[in-house]
Amino acid sequence: MNAPKKDPELQYLEQRARALYLKAGAQLDAHTAGRLRAARREALQAAQAKEHAHPVRMLLPAGAFAVLALAVTMLWLPQQHGAPITSASSTSAASPEADSYLPPDAESADPKLYQNLDFYGWLASNDGQSSGTTTSQ
Amino acid sequence: MTSMASPFSTNPLQADLSLEEARATPASLDAFLAQTERRAFRMAEMHLGHREDALDAVQDAMLRLVKHYRDKPAAEWAPLFWGILRRRIVDLQRRRKVRSIVVGWLGGGRDDDGDEMPAWDPADTGPGPLDRLQDAQSYADMAVAVKKLPQRQREAFMLRVLEGLDVAETAQAMGCSEGSVKTHLSRAMHHLRDHLEEWR
Repeated sequence: MNAPKKDPELQYLEQRARALYLKAGAQLDAHTAGRLRAARREALQAAQAKEHAHPVRMLLPAGAFAVLALAVTMLWLPQQHGAPITSASSTSAASPEADSYLPPDAESADPKLYQNLDFYGWLASNDGQSSGTTTSQ
Repeated sequence: MTSMASPFSTNPLQADLSLEEARATPASLDAFLAQTERRAFRMAEMHLGHREDALDAVQDAMLRLVKHYRDKPAAEWAPLFWGILRRRIVDLQRRRKVRSIVVGWLGGGRDDDGDEMPAWDPADTGPGPLDRLQDAQSYADMAVAVKKLPQRQREAFMLRVLEGLDVAETAQAMGCSEGSVKTHLSRAMHHLRDHLEEWR
């Protein structure tokens, strides 16, 4: 199908208007052309500056995240290390007979135990000797 | 058929060829803006009738295109750029309207004869846009006639006829349907034919 034929008068009008417009653009005065060139460079440089600033801007949240992660780790680790100690102490407290030589907590032990340590030492050695003699007999 | 003198001193198809050259797919965004900026200024100037505002509009359109659409395919830059420029021009026209209303409220904006005068616009001391133009009078006549068109008809005429965008690209830049573009353009052409009788 053929396209409808354009009115030659309108076609002429279009051509002339376009020619004048293109000519006006091409014959722009040097002052305005210079300002347009400067505006273009500015726009392109602004985009480049933004691209360069991009990694720096990415580092900021990454750094903040690292600091936050470190803080959380520092708060969490002592708890993890403290937990076995507490459980160990509670275990030993639950069964004091398991190791009767070492009281679970020095402060909670009877202070009299520490008053005559030499005597207990002599008694232990003497006890060993006497039991040895008893066995030899 | 009415015989018409050619508007060109050389080849009558010169305008179309120049437009083809101007609209060849650019290698870079810099090249695209370099080949578009002067025509963009002329278009903004014709809409706004003010050099400084026209320069502001073009500068802003360039910034926005580079900032938001530099990664788009080169073929899409033209409708995007002209669309941005069109919206910027409309913004400036609205701002100017508000400013004139405020000036009116304050009692200013009229000279001794009661004619409207620019209130806060700086004096335009640069060389006139038509100073170096050989066809200055014809261009001035066209600018006056185009300025008289309703906004949408003016946009359709400038983008489709002067800038040479196709109907789809014009519709994209204007933010309307292709049918609307054709309607606006048809009305614009008939208005212009009536106003530019001396061109016949």
